[in-house]
Amino acid sequence: MSAVLEKAPPAERADEQRRSWAAVLALALFEARKLLLRLPVLLMFVLYAAWIGWTMRDAWSSYPALQDVDRATQTGPLLPALAVLLCANQAVLRSQRQDTDRHFDVLALEPWRRTVGFALSVVPAAVLTALLVAAQFTWAVLAPGSVGHGSVGELLVGPLTVLLAGTAGVLLARVVKSPFAAPMLMVLAFFSILFLGAVPGDSNGSATRWLVPVIGDASSKTLPSDLLGRPAVWHALYLFGLALTLALAAVLVNGGRTKTVAAALVVAVGLGTWGAVGQAAKVSKATTDARVLATLNPAKVQSCARHGNSTYCAFPEWVPRTGTWAEVTDHVQSLAGGTAAQEKLLVRQRVEARYGMDADGAIEPSTVPYQVTVGTRWGGPRVPEFAAAVSSVLVMGSEKATGSLCDGRMVTIMWLALGWQSDPLTQMRAVRLDDSVSGSAIVLSPTNPMSMTTQQTDVVRELLTAGPNKVAPAVKAHWAELTAPKVTTAKVAQLLGVKAPAGADKCE
Amino acid sequence: MRVTTGVVGQLVRPVLRALPRRALGAGAGAGLLLAALPRLLSDEPDPWTALLVLRGAALALALGLTFLLDDPARQVTVAVPTRRMLRAALRTALVAPLAALWWTAAVLLIPAQVRPPVGDITLEAGAAAVVALAASAAAVRLTDEAEPGQRVAIALLATSMAAALLLPTEWGLFAAPKDKWWTPGHDHWAFVLAGAALVWAACGPEPVRRRLGGFALPRRLRSTPAH
Repeated sequence: MSAVLEKAPPAERADEQRRSWAAVLALALFEARKLLLRLPVLLMFVLYAAWIGWTMRDAWSSYPALQDVDRATQTGPLLPALAVLLCANQAVLRSQRQDTDRHFDVLALEPWRRTVGFALSVVPAAVLTALLVAAQFTWAVLAPGSVGHGSVGELLVGPLTVLLAGTAGVLLARVVKSPFAAPMLMVLAFFSILFLGAVPGDSNGSATRWLVPVIGDASSKTLPSDLLGRPAVWHALYLFGLALTLALAAVLVNGGRTKTVAAALVVAVGLGTWGAVGQAAKVSKATTDARVLATLNPAKVQSCARHGNSTYCAFPEWVPRTGTWAEVTDHVQSLAGGTAAQEKLLVRQRVEARYGMDADGAIEPSTVPYQVTVGTRWGGPRVPEFAAAVSSVLVMGSEKATGSLCDGRMVTIMWLALGWQSDPLTQMRAVRLDDSVSGSAIVLSPTNPMSMTTQQTDVVRELLTAGPNKVAPAVKAHWAELTAPKVTTAKVAQLLGVKAPAGADKCE
Repeated sequence: MRVTTGVVGQLVRPVLRALPRRALGAGAGAGLLLAALPRLLSDEPDPWTALLVLRGAALALALGLTFLLDDPARQVTVAVPTRRMLRAALRTALVAPLAALWWTAAVLLIPAQVRPPVGDITLEAGAAAVVALAASAAAVRLTDEAEPGQRVAIALLATSMAAALLLPTEWGLFAAPKDKWWTPGHDHWAFVLAGAALVWAACGPEPVRRRLGGFALPRRLRSTPAH
């Protein structure tokens, strides 16, 4: 008899424990459903989905680099994060607002377990964000011509921001029991962060820079993924540790002073600190060295592929794109005459990676004969820019020689670059800095830009309007005269059979 | 009933006591703190951040004003003979001079050389305040919640953030003074102000819902409490 009495209480307690955790789960599910169906949260998720559709609308024609797409998923989730913070806060305060707090005193569920339920209730919102982030990233992966590698650490930032916002809302409601605290603190925090972010002096590698959830870059260029040097995984760990810390702190201040909670809080603070220290570290020596190598001596890390006459060398992540470059090179070369039509070109991909994502730098033109530079981006204006680089090398012999170009050869260069396109005037607009088709302008290329005079622009426009069938034979026939140094624009116009422009060339 | 100065005079003290002073104070404090940031933290303040924090200050006060019509005793005061419109107007009138004083202080906190055009930025702040008042008046008019302030504040905050992010630049609502959209943007702000003022006026009277559903039960006695 006594044995039975001794054994019964622990069994009863375990049963009670199990039942109260079931109640926590039930509360979490109920609150999660309620949170996701709140009007602000719903609207913000709809807006977020619309934002994804808007930013990804031309992913299929813009040749995305996945190491850029993963970072581009981070700003959108700030919309649902804002709503989740405010609504989770409001949900915790609901019982106070409706004066039902004292009813909970008769329940077996302790207040701190209710807080656990509320903290768990924001998890589905984070999961939903993760699904949307995954959809956005998958869309870019599926896009034809996408290259590179995404980082799991960067992709996790969006969902973790929502989780962090939700737990912050719960903690805030447990610390300050007033309905206006959350909106006010949001405004204060938001504008202070914007203000501090705008104040100059926040140099790269600063430890405090990475403390906010989403960190942008000063540069918008595309780099090979191993040269980015962003502490993405550390930052995800930091965000996770911080979210966990806030949730456990809410449980702790609500009376959950058990050993388990205290131990978990210590672990969470440790995780967050570990992440914060990890992300504050300077860019590693290995990455810095790799950046210098990729900038100054890319041949060491590139793989080459042969398409037709020419060789294409690219960073490993871009090798699948060499075929696309070859199509453009072949089109341009097919319009050229003389030896240029059979010239073996070396197309090499080059980047300025020494400053990482903190600053931009121009790529110096190559001095090697018949070497063409191609950048890391593709699609849109990048296509005619590359075509202009190819044609300038075919006419001038090297990229470096193009810098001093100031004569009628510019007409030939531009015609080769644009003549094979189906809509050459649109492409001409795209390749010129001011988007014009008349007057003088700067022509962009992967390295140094070239300049066109008003007269050259007029002749090129006439040639493009006349169509390739009429002009191509004339170019091939007069190739030697067209590419002779110091040939005038008027002479080129006369050779190709279009009206000579009024006035003399004057380079700017 | 006839509104006499006597009634108003008698109402001033209880209405003053019933003002949600903590929420308004928090909004004003947060706003002043934001407006003081350029003087406190940066050696060379620039016009863009000055405009940013001033807008933040205006938003903070607007969020405070969303709590202005909260009345925990709403189910009781609905029966008093003084119309709700008058009581709400009295609350607003009591707060308005303080708000004007507060705004002057906030503007003066911004260093003179980076201060945005005062008239235009005041129009923005006024529009934000009137939108907040109109939203809380609409919440009181359309629901029978006693304290809709928090919901309205959340809606206002979410809307303003989404608007700043998503509205086309051509509308100029969040332009910088040197932008070409600054002037048309402030015409739009004037429209926002006028529209919000109309909504505010339309939502003044107490709803006549008793004709439809009988006397509304106090919230917590109903079976499905809204949260």
